[in-house]
Amino acid sequence: MKFDLMLTGVGGEGVLTTQVMIARAANIEGHYVRGVQLHGLAQRGGGIPTFIRFGSEKEVSSPGIMQANANLILAFEPLEAVRATYYARKEKTVFVVNDSPLVPIYAGLFNTPYPNMNEIVERIRPFAQQIHVFNATHLGKEKFGSTIFGNTILVGFVTGTKLLPLKANSLREAIEATAPREKEKNIKAFELGLQLGKEK
Amino acid sequence: MEIRIEMDVLEEPGKKVLLLGNEAIVRGALEAGVGFVAAYPGTPSSEVPMTFSRVAKKVGLYFEYSSNEKVAFEAATGAAWSGVRAMTCQKHFGLNVTADSIPPVAMIGVKAGFVVMVADDPSGWSSAQSEQDTRYYARMFKMPMLEPSNPQECKDFTKLAFDISEEFQVPVFLRTTTKISHSIGTVKLGKTKKPKTRGKFQKDPDRYYNLKPRLQELHDRLNKKLEQIEKKYGRKLNTVTSREGKVGILTSGVSFEYVKEALLELGLDPPIAKISLTHPISKSFVSDFVKNKEAVFVLEELEPILENFVKQMAKEANPNLVVHGKDLLPRYGEYTLETVIPAFEEIFGKELGINFKDHNIKVASALNGLPLREPVLCPGCPHRSTFYAVKKVFGDETIYAGDIGCYLLGIFEPLNMQDFVVSMGASIGVSHGIGLVSDQDVVAFVGDSTFFHAGMPPTLNYRFNIAEKTPLIVVLDNAITAMTGHQPHPGSGFTGMGEKVEPVKIEDVVKALGVEAKVANAFSQKQLIKTLQELKSMKGPKALVSRGECRLLTRRRFRAQGRTLPVFEIDQEKCTRCGICANDFGCPAIVKATVEPEGEPEYSMNPDICLGCTVCMQICPEGAIHILKKRRKNEV
Repeated sequence: MKFDLMLTGVGGEGVLTTQVMIARAANIEGHYVRGVQLHGLAQRGGGIPTFIRFGSEKEVSSPGIMQANANLILAFEPLEAVRATYYARKEKTVFVVNDSPLVPIYAGLFNTPYPNMNEIVERIRPFAQQIHVFNATHLGKEKFGSTIFGNTILVGFVTGTKLLPLKANSLREAIEATAPREKEKNIKAFELGLQLGKEK
Repeated sequence: MEIRIEMDVLEEPGKKVLLLGNEAIVRGALEAGVGFVAAYPGTPSSEVPMTFSRVAKKVGLYFEYSSNEKVAFEAATGAAWSGVRAMTCQKHFGLNVTADSIPPVAMIGVKAGFVVMVADDPSGWSSAQSEQDTRYYARMFKMPMLEPSNPQECKDFTKLAFDISEEFQVPVFLRTTTKISHSIGTVKLGKTKKPKTRGKFQKDPDRYYNLKPRLQELHDRLNKKLEQIEKKYGRKLNTVTSREGKVGILTSGVSFEYVKEALLELGLDPPIAKISLTHPISKSFVSDFVKNKEAVFVLEELEPILENFVKQMAKEANPNLVVHGKDLLPRYGEYTLETVIPAFEEIFGKELGINFKDHNIKVASALNGLPLREPVLCPGCPHRSTFYAVKKVFGDETIYAGDIGCYLLGIFEPLNMQDFVVSMGASIGVSHGIGLVSDQDVVAFVGDSTFFHAGMPPTLNYRFNIAEKTPLIVVLDNAITAMTGHQPHPGSGFTGMGEKVEPVKIEDVVKALGVEAKVANAFSQKQLIKTLQELKSMKGPKALVSRGECRLLTRRRFRAQGRTLPVFEIDQEKCTRCGICANDFGCPAIVKATVEPEGEPEYSMNPDICLGCTVCMQICPEGAIHILKKRRKNEV
């Protein structure tokens, strides 16, 4: 088995921390793990496509995913979900999109309006087998007091739906090891997402 | 920028853990018992010193953030000459700074193992200025070079580099590229070794005396060392999958990872030769590999160094060999799976079944008309405030010289405050030249860490050779090396080991160099503008130190103290939609959105990312921006 996961979002959203959580969970389950973060300069408020790949050592070697080959794209920000279509194709890719837009200053400066969620979904559709949309950021703020908990809610969601083929216990262990603070709240946020995913 | 996740560098031997390439390098050095590490941060190598900084006290090694790469290399040389295993790390440009001190050390040699880690950045993820292939340095300075392909090899090769260095008494390069340094992977750990941190320098003219004619002896000895290293390690370190097959692949570094996976995807199994010791390359290994082949395809990012070597070896071993490489793949940028697969399809005549070109057309149409998301200065950044005030006082016609650091992002809309960027400290050097030959107003921007790194010599020179029209130096002092991940510098007040130290004030240094210096609060537009106007009317060498803490650090400090930053809002009643806050100031926390398709844009604050710097409040001509409330705990 080889699984190609892409996370994407905007610098400062916690994409990198989430990458490490999931990659650690894969490591806990004994997978050979590779991955890379395309960040550099772009991290200051730019988009950050991030990859996690796991499977057998023979199958997984490139740190990045091949074009049109992601199994799952977890987008923390809708506009970045559209940009991730480079790594997606209809027969293979599932999108989970956090409906919490971060409007870049360039939208206003260059009069390129930020598209609404319907338009985002229509742009993604030719590249997606399934698309799940919900606002985890809002939920995180409402239930746990900060937008940042939206990230672990999303991780719970993809685990609960089994879109991410890793066990809930491995992720709990990885969250414990990775969350920079508020470990308890992060676990609770994960459980909430897990439940939402199971009900899906 | 850095990856600030602390992974399992100190785990028990035998465990399989997840490490970043850069962290694996640190683990390798710990397994080699490194006792002394000195570095100036530079991405994509930044996580190497950051990890050392984190673990140094715990494992008992010495670590310092040096004021630049050259002095870091020199300090590490001193340690290695005194019998302590030493290491320095830098990005490719950092090695250019170090370069002056390398050749004598290579020729003299070392006593304890000395590893010089360097990370190249093809595609310029973290380096706006240029691409370069550092493998040439290994050839120029005649130093061995090891190149890992993944985090496991990052660890293993670092340890090995120390052993080779000590065995042959020569400093050894460990070279990575961005996709190795910043990739994560499963790593099986070995035993760490207690570091030896104390040594003694022994006077020894036979070892250290390097003037003519001794120099030629040292040079000859270095040549012989390389021959011995090639003989002992060349074949051993390079690997080959099989010798069957008429078309062979020869590769190294991250390209090896792409080669393996691309061939698996295509269902092909040609012989693959992997070169891990890329200097000196084993002649016999390459000759044997090319001997019975019809063609060899060489995959390496950037320069055709291996390719030229294969061609050279083929002249004797197999004159009819067809050598592919840069004829099929670019000599710039990074490779990816999708760049190498079409080349394999062409050579082997086998199709993957994905049309990358068609896919790209489809993606382009999905992206058509979407807003850009270029990197921007963070909300609350003191540099934005300084740029805004400088533009108010100096206008659009003034030449704005840029430099290396976060403020590089001032190059983008709407600030447009960097007309060119060359290298560390060069804003001052280049401005001086413009000031000497033209009547233009010139402002040279330079960061605090950059000023300490390479800004002092050009400031001194500009004070020495005073131009008729002296440029204004603006030092953007946010008290930290922010761009690479908040490492301390001489002005920060603490060291890489976390020890307190009296900070060096930039204005004191500037004044000591004979240049007039004024200090202003970077978060006060009024103070900035007044000070800038005074400086503008002054003749002679002059500098503004615009001082304001990096807002990310302020946030971290507030969090640690359980305090919250203020949050602002735009009063829609008072707002006249003039757009200054978004269109001229350009803070990402201010959202400009048109609600109706043809309607007038409206301006609002995103409280989730506002860091409460107050500057938008100061620049709003209508007084429409004000503090909303104290943030609730846990917000931002």
